[in-house]
Amino acid sequence: MRILIVEDEPDLLASLAQALREEGYAVDTADNGEDGLFNAEGTDYDALVLDVMLPGLDGWELLRRLRKTKKTPVLMLTARDQTRDRVRGLDTGADDYVVKPFDLEEVFARLRALIRRCANQTTNVIEVGDARIDTATRNVSRKGQPVELTAREYSLVEFLALHRGEVVTRSQLYEHLFDENESSLSNLLDVHVSNVRKKLGPDFIVTRRGHGYGIG
Amino acid sequence: MILKSIKWRLQLWYGLILIAVLVGFGCSAYQLERGRQFRRIDDEIHLRIRMLTQQLHRPPRGPVPGRFPGEGPPPEFPDDGGPEDSRRPPRFILTPQLAALFDPNALEPFYFVVIGRDGREMARSTNAPAGLANGLEEQRQENAGGQGLPLDPLALMRGNYRELSVYLPSDEKILVGRNIQPELEELRLTALKLTGFGGVILFIGLTGGWWLVRRTLRPIAEISAAAAKISAGDLSQRISAADTESELGQLAAVLNSTFGRLETAFAQQQQFAADAAHELRTPVSVILTQTQTALARERDAAGYRQTVEACQRAAQRMRRLIESLLELARFDAGQEVMQRLKFDLAKTVANGVEMVHPLATEQGVKIITELQPLEIPGDSERLTQVVTNLLTNAIQFTPRDGEIRVRLAARDGLAILEVSDTGKGIAPEDLRRVFERFYRADKSRTGKGNSGLGLPICKSIVEAHGGTIEAASTGAGATITLRLPVNA
Repeated sequence: MRILIVEDEPDLLASLAQALREEGYAVDTADNGEDGLFNAEGTDYDALVLDVMLPGLDGWELLRRLRKTKKTPVLMLTARDQTRDRVRGLDTGADDYVVKPFDLEEVFARLRALIRRCANQTTNVIEVGDARIDTATRNVSRKGQPVELTAREYSLVEFLALHRGEVVTRSQLYEHLFDENESSLSNLLDVHVSNVRKKLGPDFIVTRRGHGYGIG
Repeated sequence: MILKSIKWRLQLWYGLILIAVLVGFGCSAYQLERGRQFRRIDDEIHLRIRMLTQQLHRPPRGPVPGRFPGEGPPPEFPDDGGPEDSRRPPRFILTPQLAALFDPNALEPFYFVVIGRDGREMARSTNAPAGLANGLEEQRQENAGGQGLPLDPLALMRGNYRELSVYLPSDEKILVGRNIQPELEELRLTALKLTGFGGVILFIGLTGGWWLVRRTLRPIAEISAAAAKISAGDLSQRISAADTESELGQLAAVLNSTFGRLETAFAQQQQFAADAAHELRTPVSVILTQTQTALARERDAAGYRQTVEACQRAAQRMRRLIESLLELARFDAGQEVMQRLKFDLAKTVANGVEMVHPLATEQGVKIITELQPLEIPGDSERLTQVVTNLLTNAIQFTPRDGEIRVRLAARDGLAILEVSDTGKGIAPEDLRRVFERFYRADKSRTGKGNSGLGLPICKSIVEAHGGTIEAASTGAGATITLRLPVNA
């Protein structure tokens, strides 16, 4: 899952990015509205964490312009907690709202919910064959036995599970699992796929030659 | 309780006054009418008494046998003008002319009784009521000293009869009366009419008064209702005063404008509090996310150090904000004490320039000063704060290799301090608002240490010195102009 954070307070941006990375997300950052919009328009993020007060282009304007081309789920961060601000945000196209100061746990939960909803998934638990993926606790089990996965492996499984029945291309996987600082030319993806097959069974991930991967 | 109400008190008072006036007027009118009636009756009686008296006072000289009226042809009375013989008992003869005056069938039937000096009735008309003499005798006693006044009749009411009696010098007594029941009846009717009329007037007066009082006092009810709502916290309430001409309408207008100012001040205060809370949210968010991230798992020393440093920056920012807020609050409450000492403003400005010099050098900005020595009364420390604040702002908005001009001159009894930069200037829509609290031309909070309170504090300090502060922008840089009175 790849997320873009647009926030102008450097300390807040840094800690949010770190926390989300540690949660297993691929995280890109922008500290002003223009860069944020540029990034958001150029990449299919799984979610956008957007501060309202930004230099240059503020959060509302960024959202308004982004909505012309992208349906990326957006979680707004704002210091304004009045109803009219919240209504305005939701009406402009924001999908959810967190008022500062917030708890990281809440931000995580809301992001999970946003991503889940975007994939038309209603619960935290996805079952694929004999595997069971809990997106809230980020645990995967097979036939009732917990399976240890690295953060990146889990992200791969989760992304494929959320798009099960579809063919997911390699470039899609690169776009959603790795942030802009990681090289997409590496064979990291193949390593992760092979590791997941070792842990969840060789048929868990099916290779569609020339197209990409799929499960279910 | 009811007497505590102005409405009822007013009503009671003019009700009482109206009743007093009406009663006075009614009584006078009744008395006048009664007097008029009685005077008319008395005049008629008087006339008859005089005529009867004339009959008595003209006795013939020769012995004439007493005759009762109507018993024979009227005797002749040759008036020889001789002296009256008072020793002889007077005769009484009723002439037809006189009889006509006492016609019992007349519309207003008069009666008479003549009593001789021996107390016996000499004559009486047929319609005279019985038993008059007794009362007369008492009058005689009372009127004992009245012999000298032969035609001073004594008026008396007996039941429905109006009677006048007179003692003649010859000790005869004449009484003439009339049943005045019709007149009394008429007077009663008049009294009734007056009472009814008074009642109607009183009713109209009270009703009209009630209406007027209610109409007049209605604004008071509205005022108190609006004031009650306002005191309950609804500051948007206004008194609907359509009638602005009356005194209460004017009061309502004054109160409305007061309420308006109160609401604005309250809204400003609320906005200020909301803005202050809002400003505190971001540093608190930094501390929360930093610490929560750090505590999520074990970190190395450098990781913790980073977190602690970020928290420190956030705390510093909160401290600056809180200090600024408190400073403004003290200005607002008028608790900030300004010194009033003469000092050289040029030196103070030079001091301020000195203080920001390292920052200017760091940003590659040149500060050029043109300072004219100028003594003004005031608080030099506070004004140094203003100067450094303005300069820090200017340095922030001036690009590298730009310059800032600080000019101090005296004009029209004012010290004029100008701080101009060569930055991007201030947009026209922001010019008016840069001195508003928490207002920032760019909506972000990236400006290091820029709380949005610097210029408002400058404004408060300058205004506490009786001066003004203005922002202007030509597009190529901005100029902040301070005007401070030289003789305060």
